[in-house]
Amino acid sequence: MTSITFVQPDGSSKTVNAADGDNIMQTAVANNITGILGECGGAMMCATCHCYIEDARTGNASDGEEVMLECAEDEIRPTSRLSCQIKVTSELDGLVVHLPQPID
Amino acid sequence: MRDLPVDEAVTLADLSRDPYPIYKRMRAETPVVRMAQTKRILVTKADLTKWIKENPEIFSSDDPTTPMKPAFQAHTLMRKDGDEHRAERMAMQPAFSPKVIRTDWGDLYRKIAEDYVGRLPRGETVDLFTDLCGPVAARILAHMLGLEEATDAQMQDWSQRLIDGAGNFGYDPALFEASDAANAQMNALFDRLIPRHQSEPNNSAFSVMLNAKNPIPLSQMYANIKIAIGGGINEPRDALATIVYGLLTNPHQFEEVKRRDLWMDAFEEGVRWVAPIQVSGRRTTQEVQIGDYLIGPEERVMTIQASANRDEAIFGDDGEEYNVFRDKHPHQSFGSGPHHCAGAHVARRTLGEIMLPLLFDRFPNMTLERPQDVAWSGFGFRGPLNLPVTLN
Repeated sequence: MTSITFVQPDGSSKTVNAADGDNIMQTAVANNITGILGECGGAMMCATCHCYIEDARTGNASDGEEVMLECAEDEIRPTSRLSCQIKVTSELDGLVVHLPQPID
Repeated sequence: MRDLPVDEAVTLADLSRDPYPIYKRMRAETPVVRMAQTKRILVTKADLTKWIKENPEIFSSDDPTTPMKPAFQAHTLMRKDGDEHRAERMAMQPAFSPKVIRTDWGDLYRKIAEDYVGRLPRGETVDLFTDLCGPVAARILAHMLGLEEATDAQMQDWSQRLIDGAGNFGYDPALFEASDAANAQMNALFDRLIPRHQSEPNNSAFSVMLNAKNPIPLSQMYANIKIAIGGGINEPRDALATIVYGLLTNPHQFEEVKRRDLWMDAFEEGVRWVAPIQVSGRRTTQEVQIGDYLIGPEERVMTIQASANRDEAIFGDDGEEYNVFRDKHPHQSFGSGPHHCAGAHVARRTLGEIMLPLLFDRFPNMTLERPQDVAWSGFGFRGPLNLPVTLN
């Protein structure tokens, strides 16, 4: 099991155990993390699993992911990622994922 | 492995008239079943329909025999997979992104909605379906696609002809003649509009595609716009009519929704309750187990999201009811996987955030005196055909 911490814009956080082989979006949805919908099921088609990750272990966004990120609802930053594109492995133990501030 | 059951009795006419009792029985008794009349395999349980759509390598959208091809005079992105699908979809997607909805379409839609709602006569009984739901959906779509020159009536007529052609599984030549005539009119308009969109780039889908750094072929731009016309009017139209029906036939919920401004919840529950697109087809590319059954390659599988949205395993025993206050669970009306609805954001913003509050702010005591007069119809696409409400 890999431990992942989700941090909300208000600073509250929840640490969960993620199953290897799942992706971060699936982990968030399985644990009812507010702010991650994953509507398209991880097909990189909806940008409703947008998050911020500052951690070299997760690598860089692919070209397709970059294009889809442009469509995300919330503020895009250099650390923006689609959480469906990051697979959980034991190497990511302790990863911190920040959720975006919803825009009214 | 058991033999796949065959349903000899159920017909498309039955499913167009009143599909929900049939799907309820199928979920309980035969969640994977071959429908004898169409030879297709119907899948009605939520976990299976979602899994099918999220595994496009096994369940392809590409169906060489689809009547969509003659109806649209093109092989469209709806019937493509993988990179080919992604390239065509992403060419258009920026026009529907939350950013552009906020900057361009939100304010425009609010103006259009105010205009169309403002024309409705207070104190009178009108057919909201023909007087508001259809025209307002047509107008906003015309703007989003960059076809402002087309009238509401034209947009709705083209949309219906494309839909009728795309669903023409009996290959009736008259329906393809009708869609051919619509194609000719649309092509002529698109041809005329190219210079304007090139000289004055804007955030409409047509302009975004024309002015892209690496544009897709013009024929595919045309096909994309036609897909948006075919799919972008009836769905918001039917969703709006369905939600209004749901609220007016459940007065206690209606009062509470108004009191607490729960329009977005009213929207989500409406599209869950009666999915405007009820069914999506896929083709098996290999032998695969679906539920308890082994299905061979080259089978046509119909995933019934209309049924998945009422699956007892997710929604309990009252999934058949419109209930804004039910426990929240994801529905499948916008699909899942690579073909997840490109208009989902637009629909939520325009209907949930703008149209519903605006409509009921102007007519807070709207009533539907005779709900039994509302006719519902449709297997692939479903919604009310009329909605006689009194405006107060």
